[in-house]
Amino acid sequence: MPTSTTSLGPNRVPRGAIALVAVCFLNACGGGSGSANSAAAVSADPAQATLSQAAALGEKIFHDESLSASGKMSCATCHNPGDAHAQSSDLAVQLGGANLDVPGFRAVPSLRYLNLTPAFFFDTDGTPTGGFNRDGRAQTLADQARRPLLAPHEMANASTADLLERLKRAPYAEEFRQVFGASILDNADGAFERIVFALQQYEMEDPGFHPYDSKYDQFLAGKAQLTDAELHGLALFNNPAKGNCAACHPSARGADGSPPLFTDFSYDNLGVPRNPAIPATADATYFDMGLCGPDRTDLASWTDLCGAFKVPTLRNVAMRKVFFHNGYFKTLRDALDFYARRDTNPEEWYPLAADGTPQKFNDLPAAYHGNVNTSEAPYNRRPGMAPALSAAEIEDLIQFLGTLNDGYAAKP
Amino acid sequence: MRPALQLTALALTGAASTLAFATQYLTVEQAQHVLFPEATAFKDTGLRLSTEQMREVEKLSGLPARSVNWRVYAAYRGDAALGFVVLDDVIGKFELISYAVALNPDASVRQIEILAYRESHGFEIRSPAWRRQFAGKTAGAGGLEIGEGIANISGATLSCTHVTDGVRRIAAIAQVALKK
Amino acid sequence: MTKSLLARAIIAAVAAAPLTALADEADLLRRIDALAAELEKVKAELLATRQKADAVEKRQDTLTTIPANAPATAYGGSAPGVAVGPQTVVTGYGEVNYNRPTKDASQAQTDLRRAVFGIEHRFDDKTKLVTEFEWEHAVTSATDAGESEVEQAYVEREFGNGLRAKAGLFLIPAGLLNTNHEPTAYYGVERNFVETAIIPSTWREAGVGLSSTLDNGLTWDVGLTTGFDLGKWDAASTEGRESPLGSIHQEAQLAKSRDLSVHGALNWRGVPGLLLGGSLFSGKAGQGSANFAAPNARVTLGDLHARYTPGKWDLSAVYARGTISNIDALNLTFVGNPSPVPSSFSGWYAQAAYKVWKSGDYSLTPFARYEQYDTAASYSAVPAGLAVPTGPNEKVMTVGASFRLGEGVVLKADYQKFQVDNTRDRLNLGLGYAF
Repeated sequence: MPTSTTSLGPNRVPRGAIALVAVCFLNACGGGSGSANSAAAVSADPAQATLSQAAALGEKIFHDESLSASGKMSCATCHNPGDAHAQSSDLAVQLGGANLDVPGFRAVPSLRYLNLTPAFFFDTDGTPTGGFNRDGRAQTLADQARRPLLAPHEMANASTADLLERLKRAPYAEEFRQVFGASILDNADGAFERIVFALQQYEMEDPGFHPYDSKYDQFLAGKAQLTDAELHGLALFNNPAKGNCAACHPSARGADGSPPLFTDFSYDNLGVPRNPAIPATADATYFDMGLCGPDRTDLASWTDLCGAFKVPTLRNVAMRKVFFHNGYFKTLRDALDFYARRDTNPEEWYPLAADGTPQKFNDLPAAYHGNVNTSEAPYNRRPGMAPALSAAEIEDLIQFLGTLNDGYAAKP
Repeated sequence: MRPALQLTALALTGAASTLAFATQYLTVEQAQHVLFPEATAFKDTGLRLSTEQMREVEKLSGLPARSVNWRVYAAYRGDAALGFVVLDDVIGKFELISYAVALNPDASVRQIEILAYRESHGFEIRSPAWRRQFAGKTAGAGGLEIGEGIANISGATLSCTHVTDGVRRIAAIAQVALKK
Repeated sequence: MTKSLLARAIIAAVAAAPLTALADEADLLRRIDALAAELEKVKAELLATRQKADAVEKRQDTLTTIPANAPATAYGGSAPGVAVGPQTVVTGYGEVNYNRPTKDASQAQTDLRRAVFGIEHRFDDKTKLVTEFEWEHAVTSATDAGESEVEQAYVEREFGNGLRAKAGLFLIPAGLLNTNHEPTAYYGVERNFVETAIIPSTWREAGVGLSSTLDNGLTWDVGLTTGFDLGKWDAASTEGRESPLGSIHQEAQLAKSRDLSVHGALNWRGVPGLLLGGSLFSGKAGQGSANFAAPNARVTLGDLHARYTPGKWDLSAVYARGTISNIDALNLTFVGNPSPVPSSFSGWYAQAAYKVWKSGDYSLTPFARYEQYDTAASYSAVPAGLAVPTGPNEKVMTVGASFRLGEGVVLKADYQKFQVDNTRDRLNLGLGYAF
């Protein structure tokens, strides 16, 4: 195998090639397994042959728009398999409800690479770890599936009984009875539990949710080479004095050979600017504080955790349409710029007060501004200091993050 | 590649002992004859040290005399006394080392032989080069101590020290109780 | 005297005899007969006694000539019994160390570095079991810094031609310290860097080994054992910089064994007081791990060592060099991390000790040791700007003394001076014991 003779001279991988590959991604994802957006049609998916019965039902439920009040929203609507199981629009929050006009509260997280996430716990240092949803309030994937089915701003079923009626009319209702028992459709709560169980099994078993087939995965196996820019980006990603990204988004193979998930399941408080595009923020007293509320209520008294949100995987991050829990940023470049220059140039990110000073961390009550992480690189700078990453370095990082997209096929 | 082959050949021919077990290299009889090949008879002297003798041994060797009874054989060629063979055991590091000391009639050490060695390291104690260091030495005249006349074997310090101490003690006993 | 008395008695008896001479003659004859008979009896008894004595003597002779296959007599060398040496022996050693960095007293530390006990059991003249167990840092639990481990667990068997075989978890015969690592066996409170950072003492592997000592003082050792697992390399931590092989050793803990390693060692002690030797260990470290970027990585470690103890001197030197090859692609995946996999690492030291004073079982031995070691002497090539600097090539001077109390206890003190990172300069005190 050739040694690492990546060219040290002029960059021989033009941006156009990246764009071409990106287009291939979208096409490939569009034709991949589990990609069918249409509701009732059951695709003759070869992957289904390896799924358990519950998971196969879960796949049908996942794509079934008729289970919503509007009749036009399924899980796949917001967790589009073609967009790494995340949102396809660049709205900060999606619209749901019976008429698809009720706004949500947070940006849609990707459902990929969640099958190894542990339930929420405090580790020996007291660090909150694990859990599903951006605030970790759900203990399992099944748990997480409950809310969207019943939430007024999502699929808006009035009750489990309401959902059950819709399920009875679905083409796979008989299959449901066969798998879970003949009398299952007589019990709304019981059927509900089986629905979320089936969805969980689908997400756990279907390899489409965790294919590990990105360019980076193949590079880790020694089967692909990164370009100069991508390699520089990886170096910046790992370097504790530069990007320091690997501190929360580990990039290394586990000692047991497991591929990196690019998250350590911990929580961080970045002080992301308040997003006026979210209608709920019109109320000046509304603050989405993640671990300490308002969605999650069991940790309300842990005020040092206010403002902390779950560290998501960075796999497929380059495909996202909005970034962070409130979708304030719409490009990866902006998000990375924010990391680098949040503290050196706060005026770029936060609204200015009457006296011209930037209102830093305006999405948190003043009492909790101290919770924001200002001690770890790259966001440990002060005004006047140089940012941790230059514009050229951020470009390299973006190149590298592009290698984390699923579905890489080596150029022939 | 040749040195390795030679080495293998050496290893296989090795210590051409006729014994079944390597830990026991010599029987008492064999040791006696190796130490005094010209001897025709070995007589048990039935040596028992008196309290006074034990004190003298301790003064001479710097070590306690350890016991009253000692296995001492006088070697004869016809009627001529050739010397003595003393059998003893000491603990090396963890295991027993059985050895024999041949003494001249003037109580100087003639030779020593290792009868049984069971430790995992320090087999070099059996090499003629190491054992040759004891020849001609007497208790009290010095030269029978590790670092002062007897060189150590790296990695087998305790075995070497205990055997050397044992030989020094036996040399002292010879001087006190066997010398004519 | 008696004879004349008897003569006189007889003359007196005869003289005193009256003219009843004829009757007395018969009586006399009768008496002589009786005496003769008694004499015969006594002769016979004497003969029997003599024969008995001869038999006893013969028996004694055969008893004192021990037959070929009987085990050695008991410790003490007195009775002609057939007791054997100890069957099961408990062994042990331990160290309590105090370190005080001279430039930062807040880092001063006292640690029960290790407490080890071992059990050796001899099954018979040919077979024995050696086990050794260790506790490090005094307290072991999920939340404590201590570790407890099995350091050795092997069976050794002797064959008739001097050949010995062992199988199990045993020490690799590399360097001077690894197989001789009790605190009473080396100078200085802490084990030297060459034989901890380069040769990862206490280095043990599971497998089989053969060895033999020849009459000319040459000992050879070969073995086939488990090796290293490069998949354990953590480029983000400093473990690999402290000891490259120490960070990827498996220690027979669910050890991956697709790639086994071989080793050989030669040690010559032909001249009393002199040891010259060397060893070589090599094996692949990819272990067939799925999707691993360095499937053909190979770890090799070689060493040369010498020790000379003329009189009161104890001089020693060790040189060790290790390489890890075929890791270019793996190191590319580690760019930006502080500790990529080094291609080579090496070190050497020279040490001199002299026993200045001895009285009874006390002795004082000052020593000095100079060592150089570099755990990252070279790296495989990476694109410009992404390389991590090699080194440091640290140089350490250690000066101190060991004060021994008998064979098994030693008190040590030394001062260590580091040339590259002088915040590590420190004063050390230690207690060591071994039995």
